[in-house]
Amino acid sequence: MSALPVSWHGEDQSRSGLDVRALQFAYGGAAVLSDIDLHVAEGEFLCLLGPSGCGKTTLLRLLAGLDLPAAGSISYNGLPIVGPSLERGVVFQNYSLFPWLTLAGNIELALSKSHPLQDATWRRAHAQDYLARVGLAGSAGQYPSLLSGGMQQRGAIARALAQGSPVLLMDEPFGALDPVNRAKLQDLLLELWASTQKTVVFVTHDVEEALYLADRVVMLGSLPGRIIQEVDVPFERPRVRRLFSSREFIELSERVDELFREDVLQRIEADFQPAMAER
Amino acid sequence: MASLGSQSNPAVTSTLSAAAELPAADIVISPRLSWPKAFRIQGKEGLLFIAGLILLWQLLSSFSHFSGKYLFPSPLLTAQTLWASLPELLVGTVYSFLILLPSLALAISLGIVWGLIVGTTPALNRMFSPFARFASPVPPTIYIPYAIALLPTFHTAAGFIVFIGVFWPVFLNTANGAGTLPQHYRDNARILGLAKIEYLRRVVFPATLPQIFSGINVGLVFAFIMLTVAELFGASKGLGRFVQLYADYADYPRMVAGILYTGVVVWISMEVLERIKKRSLFWLK
Repeated sequence: MSALPVSWHGEDQSRSGLDVRALQFAYGGAAVLSDIDLHVAEGEFLCLLGPSGCGKTTLLRLLAGLDLPAAGSISYNGLPIVGPSLERGVVFQNYSLFPWLTLAGNIELALSKSHPLQDATWRRAHAQDYLARVGLAGSAGQYPSLLSGGMQQRGAIARALAQGSPVLLMDEPFGALDPVNRAKLQDLLLELWASTQKTVVFVTHDVEEALYLADRVVMLGSLPGRIIQEVDVPFERPRVRRLFSSREFIELSERVDELFREDVLQRIEADFQPAMAER
Repeated sequence: MASLGSQSNPAVTSTLSAAAELPAADIVISPRLSWPKAFRIQGKEGLLFIAGLILLWQLLSSFSHFSGKYLFPSPLLTAQTLWASLPELLVGTVYSFLILLPSLALAISLGIVWGLIVGTTPALNRMFSPFARFASPVPPTIYIPYAIALLPTFHTAAGFIVFIGVFWPVFLNTANGAGTLPQHYRDNARILGLAKIEYLRRVVFPATLPQIFSGINVGLVFAFIMLTVAELFGASKGLGRFVQLYADYADYPRMVAGILYTGVVVWISMEVLERIKKRSLFWLK
C-alpha cells in the first residue's frame, strides 16, 4: 500500500517546471477556479488568456504562492508551492515598486535578498546594470511616482530580473499602458526572454498580445474559472510586429475569439436547460 | 458733502476706464497672476484678519474703564512687556522643553515601534486592543495629581503625563495604519522574501508614515496641553508656570505676554513638524 504513493511522488519530482493538478480555489463560498490541470515547461512562454472575472489573476497568485489552493496541488520542479519564493518573480499591473524608494533602491532591495552576501557597492553597480537592461539607465535616482506607467513597468521587470528567479509571473503587466508603450514593452519582454531563457507565465485579456508573445495560450472561461482550451502558437521566433497583419495570425486570433464565443453560448445554454426542465 | 462727492467720482471713472481698456488692464494684472494663488489668499486675508484682531484688542483696551484696562493691556503695552520678559520666557522655554522633548521622543518612538508590531501581529492585536480601547480615552490630565504624588520629582511627573498624552495617539494611528496596509505592499514584500524585521522597517514603517504623522500631530498638541497644565500645578519654572505666576500676582500684561509667547512657541513647533512631514512624505503623490 505504501509503495504506490512513494513511486507516485518519485514520478512527480522528475517533472520539471510548474505543475498544477486538479486545482480548486474558492472565495467566500463561490468557486473561482475549478479543475485546473496545467503544466508549464522550463523556459516556456505561456499566456493565460481570458475575460475579466475568469480567475486568471487568482491562478497567477496561486502560482506565486501568495494564495494557497483549496484543493489540488501546485508544484515547481516537483516541490509543492507553499508560499512565495525568490524562485518566482512577479510583475503586477501596477504597484510593483515601493514608492518611497528610488528605482535603484527598489532594485537594490531585491538584490539584497537574492545576493545576501554582497555589499552595498556591489548592489549599487548591479542595480545600474539591471536598469540599463530595461532602458532605464538614466533614471536610477527617480522615485516611481514621478515616472510614467511604462517606466514603472520597466522598473518592475528589472526588479524581477534582479531577484534572479527562473520563473517570471506577470499579471496584465502592460494592461494600463498606451498602445505605443505597450508595443515597446512587449518587444523588450520578448528580447529579455530570449536572452535569459526564463519560464514566463503571462496573464492577459488581449488575444493579440497573447498570440504575439506566447509559445502556448491557455484559454480560461468564467463562472467558475476553468480551462476551455490550450492553443499552441505556431509562429516562428524571433517575432516581429509585421506578424499582426499576416493572414495566419488574423485567422488564429479569429479562431480564439470564436472559441470564447462558443464557450459563452454553451454556458448560457447550460444555465438555461435546468430552468427549462423545471417547467 | 461736496468733498464726499468729489471723492467718489474718480473711483467710478477709474472702474469704467478699466472696463473700457481691458487689454491694457490685462497687461497690468498678468504679473500678479503669476503669484501662487494659495499664498496670495493666505498672505492677504490672513494678515488682514490678524490686523483686525489687534485693532479690536486696541479698541477694547482703550475704551474700557480702569479695571477693564487693567485686564486688557493694550497691544503696545503687551508687546513692551513681552520684550522685557523675553529673557525670563526663554529660560522658561528651555525648562519646558527639557521636560517635553525627552518624553516626546520616548512616546513617539515607543508608540511607533509598538504600533507597528501590534498592527501587524493579529495575536498581539487581540491581546492589546481591549486594554488600549479602555486606557486610551482616559484624559491624561486626570493622572496629574497622582503622578505628582507618586513620582519623585515634578520633572518626572510632568514627563510622565506628557508621555501618556503623546503615546496613545501615536500608537493608535500607527497600529491602525499598519493593520490596514494596502495588500500590494504586503504582496511585494512577500515576493521579495523580506524577513519580519525588514518588512516592518522597510515596508510597513514608510507605508504607515502618513498615519504616524497624523498621530504625532495630535500628540504634539496634547504634549503642550499636558505640559502647561502640569506646570500650572507645581513647576518652579516653565511656560505654564510663567502664566500662572503672574496671574497670581495680578500682573496681567505679563500674563497675556506669556500666553502670546506660548502660542508662538506651539505654532513654531507645529510648523517644524509640518516641514519634517512634508520632507518625509515626498514620495506621496
